Order: sequence, then C-alpha cells, then structure tokens
Amino acid sequence: MSITLEQITKRYGGVPVVNDVSLHIGDGEFFVLLGPSGSGKSTLLRAIAGLTAVDHGRIALHGRDVTRVAARKRGVGLVFQNYALFRHMTVADNIEFALRVRHMRARRRRERRQELLRLVSLVGLDDRLPAQLSGGQQQRVAVARALAHEPEVLLLDEPFGALDAKIREELRRTIREVQRELGITTVLVTHDQEEAFAMADRIGIMNLGRLLESGAPHELYSRPATRFVATFLGAANLFLARSSAGSIQLGAATVAAGEPPSDAREHEVVAVVRPEEVAVAATRAALGPAFVGAGVVDEMVFSGALERLRVRLENGAAAPLLATADGAAATCLEVTRTQHEQRAFALRAGQSVAIGVRRVHVLPTPLSSFAACAASAPEAETLARQPLLAELAARMKTRIAVRCEPQLGAAGERTAADAPFVGATVIASEAGAAQRAAWLLERGASEVLVLPAQAAEPQRVLIHWLDEAARAATLAVSASVLRHVPAEAVYVGILPEETRAAPRRHGLRWLLEARSEAQAVHGLEMRTELRFGEVAQELARRLAEAPGEMLIVGVSDLERFAERFGALLDGGRWPVLIVHRAARGTVGASP
Amino acid sequence: MSFRKPSVLPGFGLTLGFTTFFLSAIVLLPLAALVLAAGSMHWSEFVAVVSSARALGSYRLSFGASALAASINVVFGFILAWTLVRYEFPGRKLIDALIDLPFALPTAVSGIALTTVFAQHGWIGRYLEPLGVRIAYTWLGVTLALTLISMPFAVRALQPALLEVQRDLEDAAETLGATRFYTFRRVILPTVLPALLTGFTLAFARAVGEYGSVIFIAGNLPMKTEITPLLIVIHLEQFDYRGAAALGVVMLLMSFAVLLTINLLQAWGRRRHVRAAH
Repeated sequence: MSITLEQITKRYGGVPVVNDVSLHIGDGEFFVLLGPSGSGKSTLLRAIAGLTAVDHGRIALHGRDVTRVAARKRGVGLVFQNYALFRHMTVADNIEFALRVRHMRARRRRERRQELLRLVSLVGLDDRLPAQLSGGQQQRVAVARALAHEPEVLLLDEPFGALDAKIREELRRTIREVQRELGITTVLVTHDQEEAFAMADRIGIMNLGRLLESGAPHELYSRPATRFVATFLGAANLFLARSSAGSIQLGAATVAAGEPPSDAREHEVVAVVRPEEVAVAATRAALGPAFVGAGVVDEMVFSGALERLRVRLENGAAAPLLATADGAAATCLEVTRTQHEQRAFALRAGQSVAIGVRRVHVLPTPLSSFAACAASAPEAETLARQPLLAELAARMKTRIAVRCEPQLGAAGERTAADAPFVGATVIASEAGAAQRAAWLLERGASEVLVLPAQAAEPQRVLIHWLDEAARAATLAVSASVLRHVPAEAVYVGILPEETRAAPRRHGLRWLLEARSEAQAVHGLEMRTELRFGEVAQELARRLAEAPGEMLIVGVSDLERFAERFGALLDGGRWPVLIVHRAARGTVGASP
Repeated sequence: MSFRKPSVLPGFGLTLGFTTFFLSAIVLLPLAALVLAAGSMHWSEFVAVVSSARALGSYRLSFGASALAASINVVFGFILAWTLVRYEFPGRKLIDALIDLPFALPTAVSGIALTTVFAQHGWIGRYLEPLGVRIAYTWLGVTLALTLISMPFAVRALQPALLEVQRDLEDAAETLGATRFYTFRRVILPTVLPALLTGFTLAFARAVGEYGSVIFIAGNLPMKTEITPLLIVIHLEQFDYRGAAALGVVMLLMSFAVLLTINLLQAWGRRRHVRAAH
C-alpha cells in the first residue's frame, strides 16, 4: 500500500516540528526516515500512524485520505523503541490482542499466532511473560503483534535503539526478511545512518522538521544536494571552492565539474570530498593534477578494514576547509584508507604528506559562505558576532569572513572593489543600509543580507521577487536558508493596486506557479499570500504585521534601488536578504 | 533464613535486632496489652459487650463507611492521579501539594470544617436540605469525612503506578484497533490493579481507625451514626477499660482479616502471573 504525504505540518507551541513535508512511498517499499534527534521524524511517523493529529496537510494510504481517520481504523502496525508490550499478558495474549479486538475465533487466533511466531522465529514461547524474554525477543514479539491484524503499512520507531550490536544485526535481518516475504510497505525511523544503509530501498533525511532529500542510498551518498545530507550521511570534508565554466578550482587542483554549472560566471561553491576520495602520497608529483596541498598526519586510528587519518592542512596550501564530519576542527581533513593503500604507503603520525582529491562533488547550494562587511574593521567584527548570523553559519557549517570596505556606500564614481564579493555579504541594518546594499550589489555582490543587531531566528520567511529574471535564484537561496531555520516559507505575491477590482485569476495562477516551481525544483513547500499595492510599501507593511519575520527579495534591476527600498532597509527590525541576478542578455553590473 | 549479601548499611544482626525491638516496643507490645486487658474478662461478658446491638451497629457503620470511602477514593483518586501524571497544566504543582493537606491537618479541624459546610444551615447543606438530602449527622456525613481523610492514601499509592503506564502502551493498543474503553479495561486497569488494591487497603485502614473528624459531623446517635472508635471512647469515659479493650480487640481482628485478605489476593494475582509463565 502506498503512502502519500502532502504538505504535512505539525506545530508544538507555534514551533513547527514537522514543516511542510511532502513524500510518496511506493507499494512494498522499505523507506527509512533518517535524522538527528529532534528532527521531527518520529512525529511524522506518529502522524502516519494517526497518533498525532497534523495541523496542516493530507495523509493518504493507497489513495484513501486518512488525515482525519483514527489510528485504530488506519490499518497500520507500529513497533516502538521500548517494545511497549503489555507486561501483564503472555506472548500469546500480546500477539492475539489485535485479533481479540476484532472478535476472531479462538482457533483462527491460535493458527495466526503460530504463523506469526514462526515468522519472527519465536516458536514455543507462547506462554512466557515479556519480563522473561530478552530485549531482542521482546522486540520480535512486538513485531509479531504489530503484524497480527495484517496491516498494510508497518511503521517502526527506532526499533533497535535499546538493543546491543549483535542482536540488532540479527533483528535487522529478520525484519528485512519479514518485510520482503509479506511485501508490506514499511517506514523505519532511525538516527543511525548505517542502519539506514543496511535496510532502506530509499532514505529520506530530515532536519529541523523538514524533509531535506530523499532517494536511493547510493545516490544520496554520492550526490547529496545539501550540506546537511553530505555530512550526516557518512563522513564528508567540505571545501569552499571556486567554480568557473566547467571546472572547479580546489586549492592547487583543478577538477572537471561533474555536471554543467547552472551559473556560467565564476563563483564560490561548496565542494564535498568523501574521506575515501582523498589521496595521500609522499610527494606532489605522485598525485599529479589531483594535488590540492600539503599536510601533516595528525592522528591515526586503526578501525578494522579501514584506517582513519586526520590530516592537518598546511597554511595557505589548500582551499579553505569548512568542516569535517564531526563539525569540530576545520583545519583537519578526514581520510580513510584501505588495507591495500596502507601497505602501498605506510604512514606514521607527524609525517608530512601531499594531499590530493580523486572525486569532488559540488553542492548546488547557492549560499556558500558569509562575509560580514562594514566601513571599519571593528564594526565588521561586531557584525560577524551577531547571534543569528553565527547560528546560521554554524548550521550551514560555513564560515563568516570579515571584510572592511572604507568606501562602503559612498556616493560618486562607481569604483570597483579590490576583490570580488563571494558568498553572501552581510551588512548591519541601520540608517543608510539601502545605500550600502546598492553599493555592494552594483559591485557584483550577488547576495546581500541586511541584518539588525537584535535579529533573532525568524518564524516566517517571506519570499518575493521583483523581476522574473531573479526568480530561480531567489527560490534557490530561499530553499537553502529554509533548510537551516525551522521557519515557515510564505510567498508574498504583490499586484498593483488598480488590479484589485479586476479578476484575481491572473494573480492566483501566478502564485500557484511560484509554489509548484519551489516544490518541484527545490523541494521547498511554501504558503502563498496575495496583496495589492506598491511593492516596497506592501513588503514593509507585511513585515511589520508580526514579529519574527524575515524577507528574501530577488531583484535584477538595480535602478533607484536605494530610493525604493530605503524604508525597508534603513534601520528595519527584520533581516532582509537581497538576491541579485542580472536579467539574461544584459551585461552584469560586475566589472 | 538466608542471609543476604552485605549492603551499604553494616551489621545484619544489629539491624535485625533493632527491627525486632522497634516493632515489639511500638506495635506488638501495646497490642498485646490490649488483648491481655480484654482477656481478663469472662468469655460471656466479652461476648455480651462485643455483640450488643449498639456495638454491632457501630461495626456496620465503621467498616461499611470505610469500605465505601475507600472505594470512592479508588475511583476518584484514580482520576486525580491520572490528571496529575498525564497532563501539564498551570497549577498542577499546587494541586499536587493540596492532596497532602488532609495528611497534615488535625482531623478534628477537618471534621469541624466539614460540619460547617454540610450542616443544615451550612454553605452547601442549606441547598441540599430542601432536596431532602441531609449529610451532617447521618451516615453520609461519616462517609464524607472518611473519604476526605483517606483520600491522599489512594492518590499517592496510584501515582507511581500510573507514571509507569507508558503512553506507548495506549498508542500500541490503539494502532492494534482497540477502542479507548477496551484499552482502559484490558491494558491500563490490569497494569495498575496492584496499586489500586494497595490504595484501597491504605485508605480503608486509615478510615477504620479514624476518630477525630467523624465525631463532629456524625452526630453520634447510637445505632445510627456511632462509629466503633467512638463507642470505645464512650466505654473509656465510663471507666469501663475492659469493655473498651474488648471492642478494640474486635476491631483489631476485623481490620487484620480485611488487610490479610487483600494481601493474599495480591499475592495470588502475582502467583497466577508467574504460573502462567511456565
């Protein structure tokens, strides 16, 4: 039986724990929901079971809408982490519970029970009490009990959490066999990526209530789309690299880009290098064009088949390293080597080596890093410590550079900046911010974040673009931001005041198109609102309506930018992220 | 007798000796004195005292009202404990503390307070009077007083047991197709049954021994609203120590019989589980 989730949202005290999740799970599929604790995966599972009512969205089992159907009528079987067996009942009574509820005849019950006990390899334990069984056996009973009424969906909530490694392995195999034998659609919730790899047909990765990506395990591992998935699913080294037509510059190495870049101009990207794709050699010559930089072996850990190394990059040798899998030291590269590689080139701690990369995967994320920018260094440093910015950068596993531009916002000759602006440039929200933002955008900054000093984590992110040319980029940036804050996305469509009386059909269609594009291309679910009036004024009015708003606005035409957005940006209480993409065919403002 | 492994507290011999002495001095010795005092009576005299119509009436009221009060407390104590364990609401801590109040209050104060409220012209009594319901100075009043003072025992016995009924159990039952009532009857109730019995026992024992609060609201009409403890006091006031002791012994035996029965029931329940397992 297939499971279809449409825009499922569940809030606790206003905070979305499950945020606009849409997902289709095919008939007979084994789907694993993977995520750290608190990512909303268990809540989503309970919503499918019918134990948690959703605030918004639709749940369908094999096309039948069950959103308002009680759990006991949904025909699902649920297995809990702590088994949840009825302790005053024997194994037989536990398994027959669902059959007794359905008034099944004693003989038929007994037959079904025997069949189930065979299925989970517990024949002969009918008369035991749960307390007399081991943890693994108890969980097998729980699985048998959940399958007794022949549900069409089996839901498993961290079923191996309380078991030790060996039992876990055995039970995993049993569950996988049972699932194949019955062909039952199964959803398993876990925080253990190894478990996900071992069992899943498809994995869906959740963080902060959002379903970030879903796909076959090998696909997600080799081609993740987001930083979170890249680092959560297996270990990953993240680099800031530079991408230009067809190739990627990573330290000293130039690697061919796997896929044609969406953006032809040179820009900063986040590159993923898996530990097993890092090559270590004695000399630069041995690595050839794969050479990235020099390093020193910091730590070596033997772990059976593989050897784990931490290699510290020598200063200035390589591209800026963002974070390793554990998110700790951003100066050490994680490397794993097979026995074969170890024999070919034995290492010891403290040894100097040359480092190369065999395969680089570039994340499609448009927000690579942040640069706090102000007219003086102390101001820029203060800005870089702004809590929301620091939190965002930490979640994105990226860095905040500090940049001093003495001429920032100065009127007059359009002078080029000394160095190109990379990543998102951050300026303080104060008087003259609009002027400064315009100054930066004219000099090639593609994203400018105007940030008030007291800005806290937003609860809603409003999205709007002024020109169609900026639409794709605005949606991409919004999706990237929203993967890292547990906020709602709201697309604000604004039509001129004089169209208010006219049929709204045109405006509505436009809204729906924006929504479906966000969903299709970025997996971003957003609500939509339609307003009438002058764009900048309406946006300012909308932002002031409730606290906790953030605005992402896309522009392509910078004409009179500072004038138009002065009211919105100069000392506003809300963070505004401006995304600038020049319209196709016109020459960019950047020199 | 098997000696357990030594624990943190040293000296099994010392602690066992102390336990025996303490129990003897505080519990057994006074009880023995009671039995001895009654024992000095002639058998026919003893029977005459304990089976007088007035005594029989008082037993009926004492044990009947206590059993009723304990039953009420098991039902409503369950709801109270459930609310406190399951829900998080403003004032929860306050209500939790209020439950212990009958523990701390001198029982005479409780009695006076109840009388004030439920007497013929009291706050509530005056509205019940036209309906023909009289609480003060009837067996209803006795039951009410006993319910009040034994309530904490039932709630406190149930609370820890309910804490252990994980919500997962209910969720599991629900996904297996059980209705709420079925889940309550087949899953929750059996799980907390031992605690329910304990709560009943404690509340009952407390109510049987109660004196202070009842005498104010009972009116103490012989045969009607006179509880056994009061009858004992009346005997004492007439310097009939032996008669008082005789009634005391009867109370002792009946209470012991009730408590023992409940304990045996619990043990039987446990044994049945274990037997079912083999």
